Amino acid sequence: MSELVFDGVSVRYGTRRHALTAVDGARLTVPGGQVVGLVGESGSGKSTLARAAVGLAPLSAGRVLVNGTDTRRSRGRRRPVQMIFQDPYSSLNPRMTVAASVAEAFPRERGGSRAARHAEVARLLGQVGLDADLAALLPGQLSGGQRQRVAVARALAARPQVVIADEITSALDVSVQGAVLNLVRDVQRELRLTMLFISHDLAVVRYVSDHIAVMYLGRIVEVGPTEEVLADPRHPYTRELLAAVHGHTAGPRKDAETVTDTEPADPHHPPSGCRFHPRCPEGPAVRAEREVCRTDDPVSDAASRPRRTACHFATATATATALPERGLRDRVRENGNP
Amino acid sequence: MTTATAAAAPPRTWRGNRWALFGIRRAARLAASLWTLVTAAFLMIHLVPGDPVRAALGLTASPELVAARRAQLGLDDPLWRQYLHFLGGLFTGDLGTSTITGQPVADTIGDRLPATLQLAALAFLLAMALAVPVGTAMAALTRGGGRRAAELGFTTVSALLAAVPEFLLAVVLAYVFGVRLGWLPVAGDQGPGSYVLPVLALATGPACVLARIVRVEMLSVLGHDYVRTARAKRLPPHLVYTRHALPNALTATLTLGGLLLSALVAGTVLVENVFAWPGLGSTIVQSILQKDYPLVQGIVLVYGASVLVVNLLVDVVLALLDPRSVIREV
Amino acid sequence: MSPRRSPRSSPRKPHAATPRPRWSAVARTPLGACAGLLLLAVIALAVLAPVLWSGRASVVDTGALQQGPSGAHLLGTDNLGRDILYRVLVATRLSVSLAVAATLLGVSLGLVLGAAPAVLPRRAGRLVTSAVNVTVAFPGLLLALFFAVIFGVGAKGAVLAIGLATAPAFARLTHTLSASVAGRDHVAAARTLGVGRLRLLTRHILPNIAEPLAVNATIGAGASLLAFAGLSFLGLGVQAPDYDWGRLLGEGLDRIDLTPAAALAPCAAVVVTGLAFNLFGEAAAAALGIRTLRHRTTSPRPAPQAPSKGSDRKRESRPVLLVEDLQVALPGPSGWSTPVRRVSFTLWPGEAVGVVGESGAGKSLTAMAVSRLVELPAHVTAHRLEFDGTSLLGPGPRELRALLGTSMAMVFQDPMSSFNPVMSVGRQLAEVAEHHRRLSRRSAFEQAVDQLRAVRVPAPERRARQYPHEFSGGMRQRAMIGMGLMGDPKVIIADEPTTALDVTVQRQVLRLLDTVRTERATAVLLISHDITAVARTCDRVLVMYAGRIVEDLPAAGLLTEARHPYTRALLSAVPDLDTDRNRPLAVIPGRPPQPHRLPPGCAFAPRCPRSDDLCRRKDPRPVTYATGQRVACWHPVEGEPAPKAPPGQGAAEHGGPGPRLERAANGDVEESTGGPTV
Repeated sequence: MSELVFDGVSVRYGTRRHALTAVDGARLTVPGGQVVGLVGESGSGKSTLARAAVGLAPLSAGRVLVNGTDTRRSRGRRRPVQMIFQDPYSSLNPRMTVAASVAEAFPRERGGSRAARHAEVARLLGQVGLDADLAALLPGQLSGGQRQRVAVARALAARPQVVIADEITSALDVSVQGAVLNLVRDVQRELRLTMLFISHDLAVVRYVSDHIAVMYLGRIVEVGPTEEVLADPRHPYTRELLAAVHGHTAGPRKDAETVTDTEPADPHHPPSGCRFHPRCPEGPAVRAEREVCRTDDPVSDAASRPRRTACHFATATATATALPERGLRDRVRENGNP
Repeated sequence: MTTATAAAAPPRTWRGNRWALFGIRRAARLAASLWTLVTAAFLMIHLVPGDPVRAALGLTASPELVAARRAQLGLDDPLWRQYLHFLGGLFTGDLGTSTITGQPVADTIGDRLPATLQLAALAFLLAMALAVPVGTAMAALTRGGGRRAAELGFTTVSALLAAVPEFLLAVVLAYVFGVRLGWLPVAGDQGPGSYVLPVLALATGPACVLARIVRVEMLSVLGHDYVRTARAKRLPPHLVYTRHALPNALTATLTLGGLLLSALVAGTVLVENVFAWPGLGSTIVQSILQKDYPLVQGIVLVYGASVLVVNLLVDVVLALLDPRSVIREV
Repeated sequence: MSPRRSPRSSPRKPHAATPRPRWSAVARTPLGACAGLLLLAVIALAVLAPVLWSGRASVVDTGALQQGPSGAHLLGTDNLGRDILYRVLVATRLSVSLAVAATLLGVSLGLVLGAAPAVLPRRAGRLVTSAVNVTVAFPGLLLALFFAVIFGVGAKGAVLAIGLATAPAFARLTHTLSASVAGRDHVAAARTLGVGRLRLLTRHILPNIAEPLAVNATIGAGASLLAFAGLSFLGLGVQAPDYDWGRLLGEGLDRIDLTPAAALAPCAAVVVTGLAFNLFGEAAAAALGIRTLRHRTTSPRPAPQAPSKGSDRKRESRPVLLVEDLQVALPGPSGWSTPVRRVSFTLWPGEAVGVVGESGAGKSLTAMAVSRLVELPAHVTAHRLEFDGTSLLGPGPRELRALLGTSMAMVFQDPMSSFNPVMSVGRQLAEVAEHHRRLSRRSAFEQAVDQLRAVRVPAPERRARQYPHEFSGGMRQRAMIGMGLMGDPKVIIADEPTTALDVTVQRQVLRLLDTVRTERATAVLLISHDITAVARTCDRVLVMYAGRIVEDLPAAGLLTEARHPYTRALLSAVPDLDTDRNRPLAVIPGRPPQPHRLPPGCAFAPRCPRSDDLCRRKDPRPVTYATGQRVACWHPVEGEPAPKAPPGQGAAEHGGPGPRLERAANGDVEESTGGPTV
């Protein structure tokens, strides 16, 4: 069981005036054998963080550690971190058979005979619930769900210590999504894998993860055990996300609602102070006395707050505007039995 | 992943500068290309196997004459000096003198260029005037798999005509209309009638290619969501086509049209030779055969520069048509 | 690199499309076959002609100088009395082989230059790329002339010149193609596995671009042939005593008024050979590329279903939408298929109805058909299709334009692609008022600004002048809704309006739709794959499966009242914040059927835990319950709350008697396909 640590990771693209800091000083620990779910909107940098972990995005600051070893040291040889991609239609080489794709991932040092490799491919396919006969097929002959299973098998073939799943179900239909989620959960538990599970869907993340980390504009704004984060979200943005899932159509306050309706911030020019302040329903746009949000960056002393929340009022506001905890089921139940 | 959001809400700080940035980048690219062109043209004379002066004057010329001509052309100076001299000459409009006639190259080019430009411009206008309406009409007629016969006829005819190179078409046209029917002159510039055959020969291929592109682009644009939106607004079809589909189809068409236009400039070389047209094209071939390298050099420069200018124009028009392309560039 | 793609925003991929090379398919197209045969003939000629006829081609016949066609010399003779026909035939070898040599040179050089940036260090790679970009701007013929000067006049110089002139374009092609492949996730996956650069290139990139490269090389050979002819024609290519078509043409052109055949024969030879290369390449591109071989469908279009006897009882008010037995047929390679079958529903003023189902269930097509936006070759039929009392079936689009333009608003899935990128947002809104309400350009624009303000787009005056790409996704969708409100819509048909948006933005857009509905009493038809979003915003939910509505029920009763096993399965397959984390998620085994391969009975039967022989044999008709709920199932689930376990586990026993009682109460509902029965 290996621990994955993002130690102040920053990823910057472009130069000078078009520079874009996709990830800004992210600190996150994925404990060995556990699943951390990473949520956030598009452009929040969650996929970039994932790509940084596997060396697909250049680190401009910080380190990614697996069991204390910098992942950049393990270049070329076997890679301890493996990734499963979002789109199963593009993540498999259309010119390589399933067997070839999976076998390519075998760690280099372990040669083995042809037959042994064959058997290993069959074993892995079995592990992800696929028939060994599929090994000779090309990806074009598989369905979306099957392809995603092959992608899982390929990731496992590399004998990774850590697996990163980046939006692996968002390209799939609901009936297939469930099956892939079950598979990922089973495999993770069986192999005691360390996993970073990225999704925009809070319900999906909750189902798979032990911990939840919330990202906003390149920063991690809240981290904590799943149940705690969901039951008592500290960051206003986390509360926004939860409200979106709960789907209560009436916002807490009218003026707060207009605030949340504003444009998402431009990552090229992140707002000063707290990056969420222009959209924050509890921030300076609504409460004029909270000027500190415009000037001071709450990330700098986040470690001192519960769940490392990047909000100046993480403790103050937690209960003040608690959500009407009404899920779909509650509402349906009420309406169903008047 | 972040670019989508980035493009979504650009703050005003650099919005105003976008055109300036676009202009600067374009100018820089043009300068780089021009420099490459000039240097390549300069080096050409030195890459030619053997002594260019000896080659031009022939084996019978006396060594004294060769030496004198070499000195006159500055070929005995060190390379860097020649290069500087060459660059300096360009700025003052001095392209050197012909080794054959002894005339300034710039004068010869000045004599011949207008005839070539007229041909190229007329041919381009004709190609555009034919291609855009025909392509649009064909797209409108054949969308949704309708009128297969029309589609097949159009694609076959245009593919055939587009595949025939301009100089062969020129030969055929000269034979049919000049020799057989005797309607039009086949050689030289003898008034307006002389333009018909060369322009036709030059324009037919590009017109066919363009019409095909316009049709394909149009079909693809018609499948876009915003055309569906326009139809959902219940706009009359002519507005859906002219206002929503055509400008979008034209941006892609222009990109390729620019390439065609510069190919058309090159095509004049061959067509001029078929029709003995007194332009640059016939001059360059003559001078290559006579090994009159300064003249070749000058004409190559003019052709290359005109291609670069054409490309620049296309880019500017594109930027005006499609506001996104400015951002994409910057 | 988009972090999230919904199943809808990515184009639907064919499930069984094999990417295997299908060069044999090229030969099966008429064009490909002709071009292939022609090419073979040219190659045969190139091999055989010099062997057979080179003697005859060089015989000087001083008795027959510059003759026209005759029995002895079919195409006449040249100025030395040599037979033109034989010379043209013999010239095939030199013409073709020089062209092929130049192409090979150009292609291999281009391949190296184009692939180099992928293997070289970054700076060196960039240098190569920009060098290629500069040279590619110049037309091939100019480059060829330039190189011809350097390499000297002659065949060898011309091969080098044309080869070098071809290389930049090919390098560019290789570069763009490989860059697009390199951006795909499978290359990223290989990189995370530690696959080296060279192997990445040879195994993951080049095989995926081999076909387009081969096709372009073929077309390139045709172009080289023409270019070579051009150079030789100008006297810069092949020199005497050798001859190729270009030189024959150049010689013949001088005497075109005396012996036209001398010029026209090599001309024809060049054109035919060039075409052979070109057309073969084009045919290959068409056959291997995106489009598969299109067969003209011959099976007859399915006849519209016989109208069913719907009840004619109506509410006090007129329904906004009345749909009965709507059917959409699409021509396909194996005949007509019907992705929307016998869909019937009613939408009342101010009502919000959601349509849910998996991709391919026919939801969007239903919306398009209802709004009369389905185009040929698809074919829409219906027993009744009425909008606010007006039938949409009879009148042509011209008559409907004014009515639908102002009273029916559409909102589409992807707000980015649904706006015209080269027109300001304000103009696109104003257009509606300009045309349907005859407003001046200025006042229409002012209205557009007002509407943008109404849908809470900040700084509407400035925003109206901006282009769609300057809006964020959520703002675009607001503007889209605002565009619908430019008229006075009685209904908003929203096709997956939130799928492409972020969760927090989704909520805002749904809230906006809700506000519009309550403030203006506009009906909403909301198509979505997200059953929770639909349940939240709508009064009624229509569940679609394989092109038909399998259940129609009040949103409030979704969890407790759902009777169709598919509805239940769909509900339990989606995790929500109450899902038990320690139990596996419910899954629906199998896949939805393809619309052209529907099973004879209930389309859901193969995946349904409750199915029996009857289900597989006979397609169930919708049955209307007293509550207004409609269910098309032989064995609907009765009463019990939705199980959170895999569907049907606790409900395997038949719930038979219930619906039969209902049927008795409703008289002939067995025959009803569910018109407005309430």
